[in-house]
Amino acid sequence: MVMGVFGVFGIRLFQIQGLDASAYAAKAIEAGTAKNVVPAPRGEILDRNGVALASSVDALTLTADPTMTSANAPQIARLLVQKLGSRIDYFDTIDKLRTPKSHFVYLAHDVPTWIANKALAAVANADYTGVFTEKESLRTYPGGKLAANLIGYVNGVGKGVAGVEAQYNNVLTGVDGSSTYEVSPTGQRIPMADSTVTKMVPGSNVTTTIDRDLQWYADQRLADAVKASSSDWGLAITMDVKTCQIVQMSQAPTFDADSGTGMTDANTVSRAVQNVYEPGSVFKTLTMAGLADQGKIAADSKIVVPSGVNVDGFHIGDYWEHGTIHLTAAGVIAKSSNLGTIVAASQESSKTMYNYLRKFGIGQQTGVNLPGESEGILTNGAKWTKANHDTIAFGQGVSVTAMQMMRADGAIANGGKICNPSVVSSVTGPDGKKSPVKTTAAHRVVSKKAASAVTRMMEAVTAPDGTAPAAAIKGYRVAGKTGTAWRVDPVTGRYVHGQNTVSFMGFAPADKPRFLTYIVLDKPYSNAGGGSTAGPVFHDIMSMALERFGVAPTGSKSPHVPQVW
Amino acid sequence: MSPQLARAASVAPAPRFSPEGAKAAGLRLVRPVRSRARKAPFVVVVLTLLSIGLVGLIVMSTVLQAQSFKAASLNRTANALQVQQQGLTRDVERLQSPSNVARRALVYGMVPNASPAFLRLSDGKVLGKPEPAVRGNNITRVSQ
Repeated sequence: MVMGVFGVFGIRLFQIQGLDASAYAAKAIEAGTAKNVVPAPRGEILDRNGVALASSVDALTLTADPTMTSANAPQIARLLVQKLGSRIDYFDTIDKLRTPKSHFVYLAHDVPTWIANKALAAVANADYTGVFTEKESLRTYPGGKLAANLIGYVNGVGKGVAGVEAQYNNVLTGVDGSSTYEVSPTGQRIPMADSTVTKMVPGSNVTTTIDRDLQWYADQRLADAVKASSSDWGLAITMDVKTCQIVQMSQAPTFDADSGTGMTDANTVSRAVQNVYEPGSVFKTLTMAGLADQGKIAADSKIVVPSGVNVDGFHIGDYWEHGTIHLTAAGVIAKSSNLGTIVAASQESSKTMYNYLRKFGIGQQTGVNLPGESEGILTNGAKWTKANHDTIAFGQGVSVTAMQMMRADGAIANGGKICNPSVVSSVTGPDGKKSPVKTTAAHRVVSKKAASAVTRMMEAVTAPDGTAPAAAIKGYRVAGKTGTAWRVDPVTGRYVHGQNTVSFMGFAPADKPRFLTYIVLDKPYSNAGGGSTAGPVFHDIMSMALERFGVAPTGSKSPHVPQVW
Repeated sequence: MSPQLARAASVAPAPRFSPEGAKAAGLRLVRPVRSRARKAPFVVVVLTLLSIGLVGLIVMSTVLQAQSFKAASLNRTANALQVQQQGLTRDVERLQSPSNVARRALVYGMVPNASPAFLRLSDGKVLGKPEPAVRGNNITRVSQ
């Protein structure tokens, strides 16, 4: 009898220990271990002085079990609305808390933990149950709309989908860690027991070249200008011409990724690199630079400007009626004469002109390293008609991005040497090690003499008798060029009469250039011109840049160059 | 080996102990050693060591457990403080943001300066053309 009982025990023991041992061991380990994922915080995006433009904070998603909350739904909803404010709607919440036949509803996503905790405490203090939380990481943009199109934003799972957030997503993203340890049946961690910890590696910080305060001022000034001129959109970009670092890049209208407002395609597209348009007369600076490099033009070169020309059946005139007039090259730029530019450009072949424009980077990406950059449109010079040659000389029949124009005119400001614009200066790893982002060295596209000849011509633009006296800054020498381009309807691909893209490109101090600022306003009210509409915006943003960076005027006088002969 | 020799070897008498022989060789009998150590102290020592070990283990385990509780509680406090810090940092960032500073400055009647000028400290010379900032000719509202 006893032997029989022992026999049964023995068989069972053999079954457990001998046959099913590994399965039971695995079950025991599973029941006795807890695994925690340690989420790696996403790196910050900083301005040039280390101020955070984008950072990550702990957040909670509030959930509820309607079977527990339906009885007290109005009371719970009232408490939540008191603490969460506009993040939650009172009546919606009541409906959610009363969802029939459900054990789980989401109440509010992405609530910063310090706010969510207050709401939870209020619910708990009132002795209501059924409201729970899930942990997550929330991306915040302390500046709201500030530089939104440059910084970009992240999608629902925290992946960068636009701007610097997308371009530097790999370095910003950290590696999640985890910890596994043995716990008692009540959930207490057992000391000295086995535990494995995989270290979490936080994301790296990205330091941009943006100056936050200048950026804000430009954002505001541009938004005011876009509103005042009823423009569809506007751009304002400022670049340090010595380093090609973009110190400010504004777009209006824009979006606010922090509050999630204005997130439409028209607002989130980064127009500075993704939007192509015809540049108009600002392009004349490049035509003149190419000619000056060949020794075919100087600021005081004499040009006979006809009253109009007919090319391939098209009539081309100037924006003001005139007979045959005698202008210098500086006069052609100062008065923005299309006909004078055509005459000047007739000295070079289409192939030469095309080659110079290619050297200036037209029809190519700028290397600014932002997502979705367009190449613009510049057809091959070998296929140009006479009309192409003439209109491209003054910036029609060619499409550019604003960043391309910055890079090209930056070369004129930088004594004929071109460099690739950049928006990120360095990446700082979690170990605090700072690694600068590689930049390409500047290379020469036109001679120093040619660059200074075009600068003389551009100084005439801001003179009292030029097209943009409003862009002049008292005490400084300012070189600039206006642009009023016929606007191509993006839908039909045809010019629309009375619709323009107006712009102003300029740099200061003209005799020792430091900053280049470009203002573009698309489709302003019909009689708006580059000088009168974009010029004042340029004046204010450039003034602020010079003041913030402590760029004093050199004190030299602008040499007088006659505009007529 | 021859059979004779083998037989001789097997019948050879074993050497016998003879006191004379031993004496001659310098050997003598000694008294058996009597151990003076008692067994009780040894048992006490072993038991004491075991007890100390056991008590030590219990104490250590208790202390570790207590520390584990304390660590968990401190972790919670650290997390709460971290969350509080994030909230405060956020408040500071909002207050320091250019839009907030500009909004308050405009309320005080301040206007942005759009005519940059500098004072060179070495010779007291004014660089640029300073002009008083006039209300209304620069930004007048904060919408960004």
